[in-house]
Amino acid sequence: MKWTLLVILAVLALALSVVLGPAAVPLGELLRSDIVWNLRAPRALLAFLVGGSLGVAGAGLQALVRNPLADPFLLGLSGGAGLGAVIAIALHLSGPWALPIAAFIGALAALGLVYRLGLIGGASLDPRILLLGGVAIGAFAAAITTAIVSLADAAELRNAFLWLWGGLSGASWDSVLLVALYAPIPLVVLLAASRPLDLLALGEEPAQYLGADVERVKRRVYLAASLLTAAAVAVSGVIGFIGLVVPHIARLTWGHRHRSLLPAAFLGGGALLAFADTLARTVVAPRELPVGVVTALIGVPVFAFLLKRWTIA
Amino acid sequence: MDDRVILALDKVRYRYPGASHDALDGVSLSVGLGQFHAVLGPNGSGKTTLVRIALGALTPLVGRADIDRRPASMWSRQDLAKLVGVVPQREDNLFPQRVRETVLLGRYPHLSLWGRERAEDHDAVDRALGACDVAHLADRWLWTLSGGEYQRVRVARALAQEPKLLVLDEPGMSLDLKHEMGLFELVLGLVREQGLGVLMITHDLNLAARFADSLLLLEGGRPVAAGAPNDVLTQQTVETVFSWPVAMQTVDGRPQMIPLRQPKESRA
Amino acid sequence: MLRRLSVVVLVLFACHTSARRHENPPAQRIVSLLPSFTELLFAIGAGDRVVGRTQWCDYPPAALSIPSVGDGLPPNIEAVMARRPDLVVLYNAGPNVTAAKQLERAGIQTVLIDLNRLEDLGPAARTLGRLTGREEQAESLAIALDSLAGRPPPPATTSLAFVVWDNPPIIIGHGSYLDQLATQAGARNVFGDIAAPSAQVSLETIVARDPQWIAVLSDSTVPPAFAKRREWRAVRAVRAGHFLLLPGSLFGRPGPRSGNAIQQLRARLAR
Repeated sequence: MKWTLLVILAVLALALSVVLGPAAVPLGELLRSDIVWNLRAPRALLAFLVGGSLGVAGAGLQALVRNPLADPFLLGLSGGAGLGAVIAIALHLSGPWALPIAAFIGALAALGLVYRLGLIGGASLDPRILLLGGVAIGAFAAAITTAIVSLADAAELRNAFLWLWGGLSGASWDSVLLVALYAPIPLVVLLAASRPLDLLALGEEPAQYLGADVERVKRRVYLAASLLTAAAVAVSGVIGFIGLVVPHIARLTWGHRHRSLLPAAFLGGGALLAFADTLARTVVAPRELPVGVVTALIGVPVFAFLLKRWTIA
Repeated sequence: MDDRVILALDKVRYRYPGASHDALDGVSLSVGLGQFHAVLGPNGSGKTTLVRIALGALTPLVGRADIDRRPASMWSRQDLAKLVGVVPQREDNLFPQRVRETVLLGRYPHLSLWGRERAEDHDAVDRALGACDVAHLADRWLWTLSGGEYQRVRVARALAQEPKLLVLDEPGMSLDLKHEMGLFELVLGLVREQGLGVLMITHDLNLAARFADSLLLLEGGRPVAAGAPNDVLTQQTVETVFSWPVAMQTVDGRPQMIPLRQPKESRA
Repeated sequence: MLRRLSVVVLVLFACHTSARRHENPPAQRIVSLLPSFTELLFAIGAGDRVVGRTQWCDYPPAALSIPSVGDGLPPNIEAVMARRPDLVVLYNAGPNVTAAKQLERAGIQTVLIDLNRLEDLGPAARTLGRLTGREEQAESLAIALDSLAGRPPPPATTSLAFVVWDNPPIIIGHGSYLDQLATQAGARNVFGDIAAPSAQVSLETIVARDPQWIAVLSDSTVPPAFAKRREWRAVRAVRAGHFLLLPGSLFGRPGPRSGNAIQQLRARLAR
């Protein structure tokens, strides 16, 4: 029953994304409309893919670091992506894909650094160091970014920060195809880790005694979640709160078994981002809000409500 | 009864990286099916290290640690979990769970990657719940249970793995008298009725002496005495290892120690 | 009684003259913190008195030999003070207000001038004329600039959208000088209904409003990178390659050359 509702919700969110928008497209002309086919449809799909990826990455990460407050953007990836983007602009790199590629490389560089830090205690990946390292590397990257912005050509770079705030404006069938080909691999890796993630909630030692290859699982989950997040940032900037809040909402109904939690987080995250993007496009039309602002505005009250429920439990 | 040896440690020596002295030195141990072994010793005597070595989580520097005649570190985690059920000292409870859910986690070693839980898995869970006398708690949230009930649930989870060997690390700690007795009775029952082998780390000398078939007494990582409780727990041995005067009594044919109070003048 | 009165009169007279003394001597060492002001100062014949400029002040060519005090966003107080100015001219906006206060505290006269649209040019010229003692020259320039601003715009024969950034799309609205530029050149800004100087909009809005031209401030001769992106090609003007590539120095700032800018834009649109 609840799965049916979730699927209906997802379909509804997608439908609203396609039907609603600042440009008035009468219902009768939807199927013939250029705007709908070339702009709204790919944008809706991209929002769904990105939102779903962030939801799953968030759920996996929360299980990995055993901290329900973990968000994919705590890994330092957004800092790395922002730095990559700003360097690309400062160096005047041309090409329509220069920004996303540079952001992706920046995110990967941050990923590599944090991973390396996480191994500092030995061969075992320490989740607490991953979190702390992520925050540190993220702050470090942000500092360098600010330095570059203040030293180089100011105006353009300030607009780069708007990009970083999150937006699906760059959505096209090209980017949808890219993400649709890329995302399934890390998503499947995370789904395959469902049972070990359930066990990990008991602690690393008990999980090991229940048959989980803990080291391998930690590595895979960290890399898969990070790769999903890196792609999301490269394609749509930093869209916060989805990775943090959607897993919690999903847990309220689906519980903690990751086998059902992860798919629910995917559908829920996708629906939420598609819906938030529709709001971003229509609420102050003809202007547009950065979608990261909308997810934060929706996410914070939901988060507060969850916290209240959590402390009561 | 099949009395094959499930767990065998042979003159194991281990030192943690960066430590100044050995955590274990020259420790040997053998647990067969239908046998209840207890490991005793003061704090820091190496008991938990022994469990980790036995289960392949650590590799001994010297000596062997075999499970079912294969080195413990050679076992894949999943295969090992089908043979050995462990109740560690600590576990986290990150998310609220119900009893049945947490016991079901014990079936994970038996599940295939994408396969669902089968009827036999649910049956195993039911059997485990019944054996530990927590079937009536199956739908309760873990955080509503008492300490004693929670421990029994953890034992049920280990049982759901359908192991040949059960390893418990200080299971009676923080349990009250009734629950601790109940736990030891439960474990003994599993040994006698289901033929499991049991390795238990405990600080409770008296209960270990009453229930276990065989004891190993450690001090500073070294074995002080091993064998039947009557042979291991003599007044002299206990007083030396635990640095405290005791009187010994016999109950049910097993030695029980009574700590003596030290008069003010003779306290050194 | 008479003595007390004369003391009061003397004090008042002293304050008055000291206030006037502030305005009176024309500024000899001026730091200009906006390219438009640099151009205006040169245009009224006070260019030789400019001792400091921002790195963006590139017109007239003589300005390039004046030492730069940085990008001016926000102003580098030390660099400005190192030029030992007796007048600093700033654009009236947030961070500059703070900078002006700092400079005043150091005893340097500052002036914050509004310069957002064409109609601000005349008053700006007059202010600078007054401060430099070049009132006559400033007045004739101001009259020309006022008439430029006051001119009724020609009927719109075409439409455009000014794109400042592509992801997210940021366009110029009515509050910006660029909007006026377009209107005076006979092109309707399709986003003229947005009051703000600039705003983020959805790409589909740009497609729906279907401007005939996409104007971009660019010193390059090739279309911007986003022209090749698939989602931007939903815009008809992008597909047709109808780009107006406008060099920033001439088109991006209101100033004495604004009339020239409007003419050039009109010519480009006619082609």
